[in-house]
Amino acid sequence: MANDREILREVWEGKLPVCFKLDPDEVVELQQPDPFYLMVPRLSYFPLVTDKVRKHFIKYVSSDTQEHEMWLEYSAQPMKWHFPIGVLYDSMVDSDHEALPWVITVHFDKFPETQIYRFSNKETVESYFMACLKEADVLKHRGQIASNMQKKDHNQLWLGLQNDKFDQFWAVNRKLMEVSGENDYFKYIPFRCYIEDGYRQKLVKPVGDDGKRKTLNDLLNELFPDKDNVTAKIHGMIPPLETPLQWMSEHLSYPDNFLHLCIV
Amino acid sequence: MPSSLLFGINNEGRVHTLSTMGSMWREMPYNGQEFKKLSGVPHFLWGLGGDHQIYVYVHGLDIPIRIREESYENERWLPIEGFSSRMLPTDRFHFSNIDGTLDRSIDKIRLPSMAWQWEGDWQLELTLEGKPLDHNGWTYAVDFPANFHSQKQWKSCVRRRLWVRTAKYCAMNSWCAIAPLHKDATKEPFIDVSIGGQSVAGSEPGTMLVWAVTSHNRVMFRTNVSTKSPEGARWNHIQVPPGCEVSQLSVGPTGLVWAALLDGRALVRLGVTRDNLQGVSWLEVRSPGDNLRIIQLSVGSYSVWAVTQDKQIWFRKGIKAEGAGVSEELAAGSGWIEMVGRMLQVSVTSTDQVFAVGADDRLIYHRTGICQEDLTGKRWRALRAPLQVSRASSNASIGRDKFHRSLNHLGSRPSSMIEQSNLSEFDEQSRSAPLAPTSLPVGDCKYEIQPKNPKAWSPVHSVGSIVGTEVHPETDESVWSESSRDSCIFAEDEEMGWAEYDAPWSWVEAGTCLLEPSQLPNWFSDSNCGAMQEEFEQPWRNRILEDLKGRLPNQDKFTLYEPAIDTTSWIHKGEARVNLGTSTFVDCILQLEWIQTTGTLTILNPDGATTMHSFTLSDITCVQLSSEPGSPRLSIHTPRNYPPVVNLQFSSDTLLEEWQTHFATTCSKLRDLQGKPSDESIWAVTTLGDIFVWDPSQLESNQLREDDLYLQKFDLSGKECPIKVALHVGCSPGTTLTLTGCVGDEADRLGINLEAPITYKSKHKAFSELENVCLHLNPRFSENVVIRNSMQEGKWDNEEREGSMPFARGQEFKLLIESTEDAFNIYVNDEKFTSFRHRLPPSSACILYLWGKMQPFKLVIKSPMIIVDPLELYWKQLGGHLRRVETCNAGITWGIGYDHTAWVYSGGWGGGFSGNLDSQNIYQLTDSQDYRVYENQRWNPVTGYTASGLPTDRHMWSDVTGRQKRLKDQVKLLSSRWQWVSDWMVDFHVPGGVDREGWQYAVDFPATYHATKQFTDLVRRRRWYRRCAVATTGPWQELGHTKLLDVSLEPVNDDPDCTIAVWALASGGQAMFRAGTSRSNPLGHIWEHITTDQPLSSISCGPFNQVWATGRKGCAYVRVGIRQDKLEGERWICVEPPGAQLKQISVNSVGIWAVDALGRINVRKEVTSTFPEGTHWQNIIADPPIINSAPHTKGFKHVSACKTEVWAVTDGGAVIRRLGISLENPAGSGWDIGISGNWQYISIRAFR
Repeated sequence: MANDREILREVWEGKLPVCFKLDPDEVVELQQPDPFYLMVPRLSYFPLVTDKVRKHFIKYVSSDTQEHEMWLEYSAQPMKWHFPIGVLYDSMVDSDHEALPWVITVHFDKFPETQIYRFSNKETVESYFMACLKEADVLKHRGQIASNMQKKDHNQLWLGLQNDKFDQFWAVNRKLMEVSGENDYFKYIPFRCYIEDGYRQKLVKPVGDDGKRKTLNDLLNELFPDKDNVTAKIHGMIPPLETPLQWMSEHLSYPDNFLHLCIV
Repeated sequence: MPSSLLFGINNEGRVHTLSTMGSMWREMPYNGQEFKKLSGVPHFLWGLGGDHQIYVYVHGLDIPIRIREESYENERWLPIEGFSSRMLPTDRFHFSNIDGTLDRSIDKIRLPSMAWQWEGDWQLELTLEGKPLDHNGWTYAVDFPANFHSQKQWKSCVRRRLWVRTAKYCAMNSWCAIAPLHKDATKEPFIDVSIGGQSVAGSEPGTMLVWAVTSHNRVMFRTNVSTKSPEGARWNHIQVPPGCEVSQLSVGPTGLVWAALLDGRALVRLGVTRDNLQGVSWLEVRSPGDNLRIIQLSVGSYSVWAVTQDKQIWFRKGIKAEGAGVSEELAAGSGWIEMVGRMLQVSVTSTDQVFAVGADDRLIYHRTGICQEDLTGKRWRALRAPLQVSRASSNASIGRDKFHRSLNHLGSRPSSMIEQSNLSEFDEQSRSAPLAPTSLPVGDCKYEIQPKNPKAWSPVHSVGSIVGTEVHPETDESVWSESSRDSCIFAEDEEMGWAEYDAPWSWVEAGTCLLEPSQLPNWFSDSNCGAMQEEFEQPWRNRILEDLKGRLPNQDKFTLYEPAIDTTSWIHKGEARVNLGTSTFVDCILQLEWIQTTGTLTILNPDGATTMHSFTLSDITCVQLSSEPGSPRLSIHTPRNYPPVVNLQFSSDTLLEEWQTHFATTCSKLRDLQGKPSDESIWAVTTLGDIFVWDPSQLESNQLREDDLYLQKFDLSGKECPIKVALHVGCSPGTTLTLTGCVGDEADRLGINLEAPITYKSKHKAFSELENVCLHLNPRFSENVVIRNSMQEGKWDNEEREGSMPFARGQEFKLLIESTEDAFNIYVNDEKFTSFRHRLPPSSACILYLWGKMQPFKLVIKSPMIIVDPLELYWKQLGGHLRRVETCNAGITWGIGYDHTAWVYSGGWGGGFSGNLDSQNIYQLTDSQDYRVYENQRWNPVTGYTASGLPTDRHMWSDVTGRQKRLKDQVKLLSSRWQWVSDWMVDFHVPGGVDREGWQYAVDFPATYHATKQFTDLVRRRRWYRRCAVATTGPWQELGHTKLLDVSLEPVNDDPDCTIAVWALASGGQAMFRAGTSRSNPLGHIWEHITTDQPLSSISCGPFNQVWATGRKGCAYVRVGIRQDKLEGERWICVEPPGAQLKQISVNSVGIWAVDALGRINVRKEVTSTFPEGTHWQNIIADPPIINSAPHTKGFKHVSACKTEVWAVTDGGAVIRRLGISLENPAGSGWDIGISGNWQYISIRAFR
């Protein structure tokens, strides 16, 4: 049971100051637009929070690109909108050397179709989010809980995330974080480990065959058996290696119920 | 779910208990008797002792088991002797039962068994239908049988009076032996016993069925076992088919019996119904396999479990014990299913939960995952509860301290029993206890004649005794000492050691256990729960928390960044149907808009463009559920707008709850009402069981000024005279009114009246209105004089006209009226003008009436009392479903559900419709209610009674009045939160009595109904009921298993942590006192039973040790002798009711207020400290303002009194507040009327 409310709240409250700048090449007006400053939740997705950014910049770009989809770029890489913002920051930014705010370039033209998916509206994000959530539930409970939920519960999860309502979200998410029936643990831990430009997944159980609880260290060893001293980052911090996996999954998962670990 | 017990026997024959609240086994005090088998229902446990005799153990009841014996003493008037005991030969016995058919000589009425003791001596009943009788208690009649009257008349030829005496079951919390079958107890000992049948459909409440098997394999049925007679009366031999030798049997909760035979087959008892509790015949059931023999069985509600000789465990499918009495298939099921696991013994609870003793490891297992849909469950899970080693229960205590007496007697027990039993034949002869009498009240007059032969009073026809001891409460501590009394309800906080318990178990009994499968007790102590707690302490957890907090080190830099998600403003839109004060609902679109700190509700036409109605959320004073089955509805009260109530209907319950949540959260935010309501709050309950609370603290802080006066301002500019301003507070001494305004240029006469409520006199059902004016200030410019006067009941008093004329035409004025102890001081333009001596009580002046040509500007009231306008109160809803809520000014609040369960407010909020959002300290809460329909039939000469009535008749399926058609299969539940928990059943407990099939007969509809068909009866009816239950959440903690009718709370003194007197009525009408309740322990400790001779219907305790109650027969009772050291008082004094029977009473410093059966309120007058019972009642009838307050209002429903105020609820559902209560006028005058929100209960006891 995810019952450590203090941690959950702290994870939920995680925010990043972002400075959006329009690509100077796309500006058609004489005057360069002011950068747009925004405090974004780490747990959210860019398409959910950038309506204002689009509104701010759209009058500065040429009228034929105005209808195009807006995309974001950081250090010459297009942002994968379907990753949570916190994951993007933790995997792309070297936070020890880069100071905040996080400066992101906004584009309207030349959508990098080969690198990122197109998204037409928020429903696309929602369906991707729900797909992740269900995948996580399959790993945790063979999918029994998410599939038994009503449409209303799914809505509440999504609206809770979209409107930044902790209680609303956790009232439903709590059920997903419970262990089902007889078991004391999840079946497998839903996680993704980000290295370089992709991520890895593997079936990892929260307990070993000897009945001992596995820790983050065990997970990293299973995933990278040949490497020592792997450090994983999540929510902008490096959790201690002795943290139990079950607890991590319950408390440190993103809203899509996955642990998104960024290997540094 | 209140705590209940699981029982187990270990391999040494010692009985252990495991509480659902606890997690450790505790050994029951050992009294020298080992046990082999146990069988129980909640509170009643039967055991087969090591000596193969049968014992019964009654435990955990808060109310003692008492039966009332009664005997009517009849006398006939004879010409010379007057009334004498000599009767005519055709007359009834001198001492008889109520209808004279049985001899009830007082010296022949004996205690049922040794386990019973008399409470006091025979006493005379001194009331008749709630009216006191004279001291001899005689009632008179023309002849037997006839109606008896309290007064003797010239034609009275017979008289009778009632003697009553109470017997009490003293063997509570100890083992009581049931007498053996034969004189020689070893001749035919028992080999098995089983109890069940606590829920046989339609049977008398409290019925239980006990079956046993003797060593001769004879099956015995114990007659008359009930909660009133725990030992029952006698054993009846039940024949089994030839060739069947029963070795074991089990009775299910609905009376279904399965028996195991020696040859391994099973027998099922068929035809167990309320009419025939023993059943009719046996049916054979084959064993699961050819070489398999059933050795043990256990029967639940929807399942039978069996163990075969090879330790295999089997489940019988297709059982439905509910219908087993009439259906062979449902009783016998359809087949055996083999279950995994090797078990020695199995036990099933009434909710089909299964416990078993493992065959190999002798551990106790619980079958997990059993629910209605899956009766076989998922897997066996071992109970891992350690054994608590307590001083009192360790084996070492045998022969030591208090139990040694028991031991000494033990050896001689069987022989002593026989001696006592010599007088009666043991075999199948009736040794029945006297019939359980009905309850009737008694007076306190002693029976004059002492019994001559005290021996005749001893329980000769004994069927039971407490093991090894005779019952002498005064001398025998083993029965009465505190520790043994609590032997089952252990105090959980006792500091005791515990040990891992690995001794093998031999028996488990779960029938006593109430288990909620979703909330299993803490019996499976895996390391898991501990680990959770430990995680909070772990270094990695603390490091993660620190790192998370330190993620944005220089956060201040970014404070100006706009948040990406704006959570402060939103719009919620949806479709609904609305009723704006008309009679129909029309489609609409609702739009709730919240901007930063305020909100608006707009009701749009279905086109979405034009507005029907709109108001700001701050106009809302209450959002109430007003659903009818099938139509989920909300009523939004905006009393200052038109219409005052907006009714919304939604397409589904979920949609309704969503909107309800939105309204609740926004209105609470608007009024800054988050969190726990203050201790002074007023609590109220609606007819749908919803709980609301109004917190006066905010109003108080808004109104209160530094000089301890409450201030309210009215802006009257722009209003035209005449104006009536309701002051909502009387002009009691200390009040000042300041009115500024301007006199018109052409003004002739002005009127400034302080009016009291109108007196209504009812004549021939019509009311005449008589005005009352406390102060009439009447400047007359033509006469240049200011007249002062008063009016009482429509008649002007003497005018006062001295003084100058301080007002002038066309000029502004400032008028200040100050109320003092004896007069109104009147200042005009800051100069004292005059004073006017009070003629009417100033506290009754609650309306300011202005007329004439003037323009008032502003009115300011300063009052020593908080100014409450009952229309303006904001009612906040809390989760839960209750029938009544009582509070007190120490911040403790209790509630009682429709099923009479007691709940204690946990100090939290939320729950219910709002789910877990914005809630704290909420718990699961269930409640249940019965739906009832009447089946009506008419007799015709050809076919007898049929469902075809006359064209003018009522519907053949109807409600109680016959006006509404009600079909059983068309009855809908109120909302999706409700569920049916039973099928439709015939109600055999209808007032007036019923025949064997539940019918009541009458000459015609509508009429009075009786149980037996008479020659003239042409119609009959019977009542069907179906129970439904609601599951919700709310800030309520369940108190215990004792069901309550009423409760009242009051702190003993003003000390913050003083004891709180809690008086309550158990469901049988017995008074109880909760010991140990205080602010720090709102649940209290234990119920103390208060002897009450007559069942009570309502109870209330005020300060200064005033406790009043109303009896079921309508008279009032005062408790006398209450002192600080004796909070429970000494005795009740009967107070005559005011013409009609009293139904509900509320007592506080303000007085004694009661509602009677005619819907009137009665106030007790002339109550003084020396004469606390007062002298007479003053009636308050419902006058036109009350009758017009809400539709269908006829009278008052409930009244609640606090220190200075009285509030009530009308039967139309309006909340009203009594005005003008003062020392000179303790009953007050007039009402201030609040919203009509289908209220049914209010408790203002905490309010000032």
